[in-house]
Amino acid sequence: MEVTWEDGARSTYSGEQLRWACPCAECRGEAGIPGRLARVKTLNDAEVRIRDVTLVGQYALQIAFESGHATGIYTFSLLRHLV
Amino acid sequence: MTTPSSQQVLEVLGRIKDPDLGRDVVSLGMIKDLDVSPQGKVSFTFELTTPACPVRDRFKSQAEDAVGELPGVTAVEVRMTANVRPAFLRPKPSEILPGVKQTIAVASGKGGVGKSTVAVNLAAALCKSGASVGLLDADIYGPSIPAMTGSHVVPQQVNGHLLPIEAHGMKLMSFGHINPGDQPTIYRGPMVGKAIEAMMVQVDWGVLDYLVIDLPPGTGDASLTLAQAVPLTGVAIVCTPQDVATDIAVKALQMFRKLNVTPLGLIENMSWYVCPDCGHRHEIFSHGGAEAAAKRLGVPFLGAIPLEEGIRQDADTGTPVVISRPESAGAKAFVAIASQVAARTSIQSFRQLPVINVH
Repeated sequence: MEVTWEDGARSTYSGEQLRWACPCAECRGEAGIPGRLARVKTLNDAEVRIRDVTLVGQYALQIAFESGHATGIYTFSLLRHLV
Repeated sequence: MTTPSSQQVLEVLGRIKDPDLGRDVVSLGMIKDLDVSPQGKVSFTFELTTPACPVRDRFKSQAEDAVGELPGVTAVEVRMTANVRPAFLRPKPSEILPGVKQTIAVASGKGGVGKSTVAVNLAAALCKSGASVGLLDADIYGPSIPAMTGSHVVPQQVNGHLLPIEAHGMKLMSFGHINPGDQPTIYRGPMVGKAIEAMMVQVDWGVLDYLVIDLPPGTGDASLTLAQAVPLTGVAIVCTPQDVATDIAVKALQMFRKLNVTPLGLIENMSWYVCPDCGHRHEIFSHGGAEAAAKRLGVPFLGAIPLEEGIRQDADTGTPVVISRPESAGAKAFVAIASQVAARTSIQSFRQLPVINVH
C-alpha cells in the first residue's frame, strides 16, 4: 500500500508490516491482557495479504486482510509514524 | 484604438486575490468564457466557489474596474456564477452521499444552545443564496427539524429509497419524519449509529452543494458515527457565551479535531437581547465567550446571533427566520455566518488530499 500525503511525502507499506501494526483490541490486547500479536510468532500468507482498504471518515483507514481480519482502524497519524 | 488581448485581461484580473483562499482568481480557475469583441467589449464568467461568497460584490466591482481601466476597453460584462467544488476524500465505492459536494456538521457539546435553530437557518441562508441544500437531522432522540421547518410529513419510499421531504426550497430528513408523533425513540447507542447511517445511505439526497447535518449534543455515538461514516468537510460549533457552555463546546471541538474533521469555527448564539420596551441591550448569558474560546483554540469566530423573540416564534411556526423576517438582526446575523461557513468550506476543496494506492 502506498500513501501520498498532503505535504507530498510518500510512504510505502507491506501487508506484513501493516498486519503486525494492527491497532485493534484483539491484536494489541486490552485491560492489561496481552493481545494476539504478542502471543504468536508467525502469521500465515492469508493473514498478511491485504484484501481491501476503506476510508474511515477523514482520519483513518480500515484495512481488511485475506484471512478476514478487518477490525483494525489505522489512523493517518499512526500510518505516518509507521516506518 | 486596438483592443486588449485575452492575455492582458487575464493579467489584470490575476491581481485580484481571493482573501480566503489566498491565491489570485485566475490561477484558481474562477475566470471562464473570456471574450474580447472587436469593438472592445470584454465579457467573462466569474465562477465563485460558493453562491454565498462573502466577497461576491467586491469581486464583481474589482473585476469591472480592473478590466475597464485597460486601454481599448469600451464595455465590461461580468457574469457572476457559482459552482461549489467537492471537498473531501471519497470512500470507494461512493455509496454514501454520492451526489453531495460538501457536508457541514453543526455540533455543540451541550444541549439547548440553539444548534437546530442555527442549522436550520444556516441551511436556509445557503439555500437563499442559490445553492442546493439538504438538511439532515442526526438527533434521533430529540428531532426538532420537522417542527422548525413546518414539515410534519412522512417520507415516501421509492425503489427501497426514502425521498427527502421538500420544504422552503431545501431537502430534509429527520427521524421525526420517519417516526412521527409523540412516541419516543428508545434506542441504545449502536442503534443510533445505524439510524444515522440509514438516513445517509437509504435517503435519495440527489445532487447537493451542501448537506447541513444537525448533530445531537454530546461527544458520543452520533458524532462518532458521523465522523467515521462520512468524510465531513468541516464542523461548526455552536455555543452560548457563558463559561459552562463554552467549556463543553471546546470539548466537542477537540473531539472533531481528534477525528481529523476541520473546525470551521465557533458560532455564539443568544449573544444579546434588545428589550423591545426600553431598547436597552442586555447580555443575559455574558458576552464574548465564544470569541475568546475561538481565539484560544486558534479557530475562526464565525459570528454572534442575538436572542430574539422572532427567531423562537418562527421556529415554532415552522419557517426559518432568514426566510420569514430577512430584515431582522437575527436573520442578518445568520446570513453573514452562512457566508463565513461557505467561505471556510471552499478552502477545504482546495486542499491537497492524501492519495492511497493498494497494489
